[in-house]
Amino acid sequence: MAEEKSQASSSKMLTLKASDGVLFEVELNIAKEMKTVQAYIDDCEDIETIPIPNVLGKHLAIVIEYIKKTNEEYDAEFEKQWNMDDLQLLLLAANYLNISGLQECLCKAIAKRIENKSPEYVRKVFNIENDHSPEEEAKLRKEYKWAFEGVDKD
Amino acid sequence: MEKKATPFLPLEMIIQILLWLPVKSLIRFKSVCKLWFSVISDPNFANSHFLLAQTNSTRIVSISAAPPQIRSIDFEALLNDGSASPNPNLWLPQSYFPLQMKGSCRGFIFLHCSSNNYLWNPSTGFHKQIPLSPIDSRFGAYFHYLYGFGYDQSRDDYLVVLLSYDPAVPAHFKSHLEIFSLTDNTWKKIEDTRIPYRGHYYYYYYPKVGLLFNGAIHWLVTHHGSSVTVIVAFDLMERKLLEISLPYSFVGHHCVSDIGLWVFGEFLSLWAMTDGIVEIWVMKQFTVHYSWTKTHVFPIGAIPYFSPIYSTKNGDIIGTIDGTGLVKYNGQGQMLGHCSYCDDPRGSQVVMYTESLLSLPGDHEQV
Repeated sequence: MAEEKSQASSSKMLTLKASDGVLFEVELNIAKEMKTVQAYIDDCEDIETIPIPNVLGKHLAIVIEYIKKTNEEYDAEFEKQWNMDDLQLLLLAANYLNISGLQECLCKAIAKRIENKSPEYVRKVFNIENDHSPEEEAKLRKEYKWAFEGVDKD
Repeated sequence: MEKKATPFLPLEMIIQILLWLPVKSLIRFKSVCKLWFSVISDPNFANSHFLLAQTNSTRIVSISAAPPQIRSIDFEALLNDGSASPNPNLWLPQSYFPLQMKGSCRGFIFLHCSSNNYLWNPSTGFHKQIPLSPIDSRFGAYFHYLYGFGYDQSRDDYLVVLLSYDPAVPAHFKSHLEIFSLTDNTWKKIEDTRIPYRGHYYYYYYPKVGLLFNGAIHWLVTHHGSSVTVIVAFDLMERKLLEISLPYSFVGHHCVSDIGLWVFGEFLSLWAMTDGIVEIWVMKQFTVHYSWTKTHVFPIGAIPYFSPIYSTKNGDIIGTIDGTGLVKYNGQGQMLGHCSYCDDPRGSQVVMYTESLLSLPGDHEQV
């Protein structure tokens, strides 16, 4: 009896409900890659629909696809499809759902995209206000002149 | 009035992204805002950044002789697409040349110049003068010098170690051991019982730098009395010399054209070149003599002056070709690729290093 049950649970399906109401049916072993979901299941064994209040359906779909397909090749191409806003939202999702491989993949991808950019560009990307005084900023630019050379034009 | 809904990442996630950036970008991004300035200047951030860089991105710095040219090259990029995209922003004062790179540790490279030594961080441009040792100042070019540079974690101290001797063999040969501690900011002589080591025969022609491994600096030396080649290791924490014998199957090699020490994976490794064939031994258990194991023997064909320096995660062996390029072999001795990074046919000095934002102990306004 116990054997049958464990066989059944490996193909057991779970429903994840995104913040905008979109529903996703996933296999248990896929859902378990999201440690947040795993914790939910550990707490309430009989649950069938798990709410994911912080993640839009659009991003949850991408996350689930990543878990299914992740390998070295897939990861290398994965981030190229998304724009900067989506990458950040995906990072928030990966962080909330606690999927470590995806978090690292996304952090590296975002870093790669800003590596050669100007501070102005970076402020826009992350929605950060410049609270350096003009004198402070000028001082930094002068002291580290070499670090500002060869930067992509915005 | 429209407010654009832009994603806003919390600080912990921004830091996770920043950890993957090269030093040049991080220094530039200090000007993004005050919070980023303080995060990037924080020694804990520098430490986490260095640890990540250590396992993920090794670089080499190549300095060619005259005219002096300095390049910093990303190892992985060089081998994967064969193109050297050197970092052009490297600079050292003209007065430093001619110089020799004599060690690399935690992003700092030890430079030996004629009237001074320097610690140099190629990622940030920082450099700090260190005096020549008393023996180096006194005997200059009359002596031979075996340098090493490392880090003593127990004291958060960087050490320069120097084994020097008079090569014109006197009756009572002895070598001198001096160390420079960055926190003490002074050279000290280590009075050991008579130190009988001299540079190995091949040091004459291809002086090699002390290998930093497992908290100790290792050199291949010859025992003056017996003329036996051994490895001598200076433990940076214990501040003591210890001798390690070479593998039995090496002893008695007379036609060796070159030998050296390097780190293969997690192990101390000895390589020897004889008639175009490379042999590699690995010490599976550090300091345990019977654990020396010969792991590779393969011909390298017409590659001149091959010297293994690095092994990849899947056991491929990367070596320099006389400081003009790199070549990569797999575990079966098949050449997987090669590339060139230096135009000067006379070659260049090459040292591996990791980018770092680390500061030297006692220096606060560094980066």
